[in-house]
Amino acid sequence: MKNIITLFSFILIITSCDVVEGPYEIDTGDVTATDTNTYVKKILIEDFTGHTCQNCPAAARELEAIHDIYGDQIIGMALHVSKTFARPYASSQAPNYQYDFRTKWGKEWDDLFGISGIGLPGGMINRIGYPNEHRLGKDEWLARVISELEKEVDFGIRITTNMTENEAVITINTEILNNINGDYNLVVCLSESNIINWQKDGSEDVENYEHNHALRSLLSDENLSNSSNYATADNIEQTISVNLNTLEQFNINYSQNTAELGNGNAGEWNASNMSVIAYIYDNTNQEILQVEEAHLNN
Amino acid sequence: MKKLFLSLLATILFSTLSIAQNRALPSVDVITVTEERFNITDLENNGKPIVISFWATWCKPCKEELNTIAEVYEDWQDETGVKLVAISIDDSKTKAKVVPYVNASEWDYEVYIDKNGDLKRAMGISTVPHTFLLNSKKEIVWQHKGYVDGDEDELFEQIKKLAR
Amino acid sequence: MFKKITYTFIVSFLALNSFAQNNSGEIHGDFDLNMQSYQEDKLIGAKAADEIILNNAYLNINYTKGDFTAGLRYESYLNALMDFDDSYKGNGIPFRYASYTIDGLEVTVGNYYEQVGSGLIFRSYENKGLGADNAMDGIRLKYSPLKGIYLKSFIGKSRTYFTYADGIIRGADAEVNLNEALNLESKTKIIIGQGFVSRFQADINPKFKLPQNVAAYSTRLNIINGGWNYSGEYAIKLNDPVGSLTTEVNNYANGNALMSNLTYSKRGFGIVVEMHRVDHMEFRSERAQEKQYIINYIPTLTKQHTYTLLALYPSATQTEGEFGTQIDVFYKIKKGSLLGGKYGTKIIFNYSRINALNGGSSFLNDNRKHNPMFISTKGEELYYKDINLEIYKKINKKIRVTGVIAKQSYNKDVLEGKTPGTYGIVESTIAIADISYKIKKGHTVRIELQELLADGGEGSWSMGLAEYTISPHWFFAVQDMYNWGNHDVSKQLHYLNVNCGFLKGANRIAIGYGKKRAGIFCVGGVCKEVPSSNGFSLTISSSF
Repeated sequence: MKNIITLFSFILIITSCDVVEGPYEIDTGDVTATDTNTYVKKILIEDFTGHTCQNCPAAARELEAIHDIYGDQIIGMALHVSKTFARPYASSQAPNYQYDFRTKWGKEWDDLFGISGIGLPGGMINRIGYPNEHRLGKDEWLARVISELEKEVDFGIRITTNMTENEAVITINTEILNNINGDYNLVVCLSESNIINWQKDGSEDVENYEHNHALRSLLSDENLSNSSNYATADNIEQTISVNLNTLEQFNINYSQNTAELGNGNAGEWNASNMSVIAYIYDNTNQEILQVEEAHLNN
Repeated sequence: MKKLFLSLLATILFSTLSIAQNRALPSVDVITVTEERFNITDLENNGKPIVISFWATWCKPCKEELNTIAEVYEDWQDETGVKLVAISIDDSKTKAKVVPYVNASEWDYEVYIDKNGDLKRAMGISTVPHTFLLNSKKEIVWQHKGYVDGDEDELFEQIKKLAR
Repeated sequence: MFKKITYTFIVSFLALNSFAQNNSGEIHGDFDLNMQSYQEDKLIGAKAADEIILNNAYLNINYTKGDFTAGLRYESYLNALMDFDDSYKGNGIPFRYASYTIDGLEVTVGNYYEQVGSGLIFRSYENKGLGADNAMDGIRLKYSPLKGIYLKSFIGKSRTYFTYADGIIRGADAEVNLNEALNLESKTKIIIGQGFVSRFQADINPKFKLPQNVAAYSTRLNIINGGWNYSGEYAIKLNDPVGSLTTEVNNYANGNALMSNLTYSKRGFGIVVEMHRVDHMEFRSERAQEKQYIINYIPTLTKQHTYTLLALYPSATQTEGEFGTQIDVFYKIKKGSLLGGKYGTKIIFNYSRINALNGGSSFLNDNRKHNPMFISTKGEELYYKDINLEIYKKINKKIRVTGVIAKQSYNKDVLEGKTPGTYGIVESTIAIADISYKIKKGHTVRIELQELLADGGEGSWSMGLAEYTISPHWFFAVQDMYNWGNHDVSKQLHYLNVNCGFLKGANRIAIGYGKKRAGIFCVGGVCKEVPSSNGFSLTISSSF
């Protein structure tokens, strides 16, 4: 009897294998949501990176590839963190790697979520899985994006911006889509894309690498509202006024005075390449429930 | 969760107090120097004491202990009939070196290899060397972690106590 | 829910048993605690911990009664030591099992460790020092239907920190000892084995076709005759692409690994010749390329050094592709002979060399296909080379001396995952003298002097250690590592350390204070990065 049990389990197990044949790439078709009037679930992919991290561009490419498939439902944010991978080189090595992409909030989130502590690249998808399973290697992003996209949408975010010279007035309109209650915060950030500067990519030093959606500033992280009960069709508005020069100077000071081995070279922002990213997260478990992105300068 | 764990711990402590007996060897397989399977409970020495010493080819104090005892092993056997069983915890990185090292060192011990640490875990060993002394009923009556010069004298005192 | 049932079961079972009259059940376990304090030290780059002290602790409890065993392990990271991954957080019971043997069939449910062959396709093990633990959670069966035939099969999920990876892993292994099975009386023993492991993970990738069941096979052969022993194992892993959305990253090529070693030994002499060739052979419990998911084990083909400066630049197996050879010679010069002296002299020689595969590892996708040459050593990138000689001599009843000389070549870029061209190969020459002097019965002093001369990397190092031991309970040690040869003058630092400990029976307590150098700590083929630290350390370990 035991012979049969063990031999049977043996044979069953041995038959479990797949071999796929080329061509391996398949036609993806269109998987993006098409209706622009209703709110769709959008995902924030936070990509922790550094300009001397040779394996990090592969993660940025993965983010782009996911964006190519799902379109506007994917919003990326690159956080340059750590002394090892993001600190600028000494001035004696100019012009290589002189820029300091790091920010005060990038470091705070890196410390809180323990990303670079394990290694770079590393990232989070809507911060799902905190506190034990939130950090994902780039190969794990797609699976979590797919499972996140299936979730219901509770919030709809609309961003409008008004820019004059260096002043920007940003208005965030949050519409409640379901009757829910909980403790939620609304975060508003500024990111900049198309920053051309050095980046290590595998074995190469790339001088004109295109850095995208790099976090520039955290503008606000406040409770969504005073109460914790939300009813369908409720609308919450928040307006923020910012001065880009002030924000830029804050980063320069941070790099000069606080960041490890910083050199103050954190300026030269280009407003026309900047975007506002707003997201709502659950204060009890850090999970992001909705995110939206809009150009700063329309 | 915490309550359950605390009550579990309390029960265990109570049980260990109420079971005041010596510990038997766990029934775990190791392999011989000729790659055959051997269950550790089958160790035999005709009722005379057995010393089990866990070692590894990369562990200096382990090799010192076993080399030092090798110099006096014959005398120990003449006086007490003790048998020393050296169990190597070398994994597949260093396993091939076990037998050549044992032979080159001219050890006369019974040598076994615990490939994936099964016996090591079953006996609660975290670091090597870790040496056990078994009485005539193959129960563990004494154990010692680590080795410094001179520890073999204390081990021999314990063996002599059993052999009386 | 499942957890609660398990614990309630164990508690009530033990409670009932402790009241039984003719109880032959036993409870044993062991306890380990490792606590360190971290103070800031800007010179060596040591960071202070916000918590000031960090602590890892483990408690194993095993219950045995007749053919039944059950047990669990409680782990506590409050918070984990700095050289451990941040994902080890909090407390829990991540390991629990019950095992029963009936008429030769051994059934284990819950957590277990297992190895198929030498581990080339599968090895589930733990090494607390490294923070490595990929225990399985599932069911395992072991059975020997006939004499000399050993079967085992298992299914489960692999542990990653405090959770389990996505993939479902199934495995089976059959080993036949031909002499036992066929009742041969031959002097030559032959053992053959065949292992199989496969991982299931759903394919949700919208851009690429991915195999859902990835299989790996390994065949092994062991021939023993007198002082000769040959052991060989060949493993292949079928298509295992990472599942990325980027075309160049998905590699559909089959991976393979070959391990072959021959040893000969007789009294006073032993020789070991080993080789291995690894090609795209990392097997994980999930498709992602992260080290915590690795479920196979391809050991580094280099000597496991214990002297600090010999292990300063350790090698690690490049599972994507490498070819290596290693030779060990053990020889004891007879006592009484000219060179042997009164007590005999021991000589241990070791040589190992590891290089890259020709053109890189196997690759297959819609655009590119590559299969490297089987054996190619000339002109391939050197990863690691190590030649060392150790001589041990007992001078008289009081003095024993060990001397080591070694020459190592270490490809810092490849072995530490840095951008190629940053550091190149670090060549170092190392000399060690280890003298122990017995002052009187039970009191011994041991002095180690180590020297590493190198130009690249961090430059040259010196190390001195003095250890005083009092048998059977005490030890005291003072150690200093000095980086006098560092090209950066501000980094020519001393790493001073004091340690003392008390051992009694199954208990060991050790306290230390001092600075530790940042480095790589490797055991087997697995390495972990250790940050520099400055502070107190306390370790307690005990078995009951």
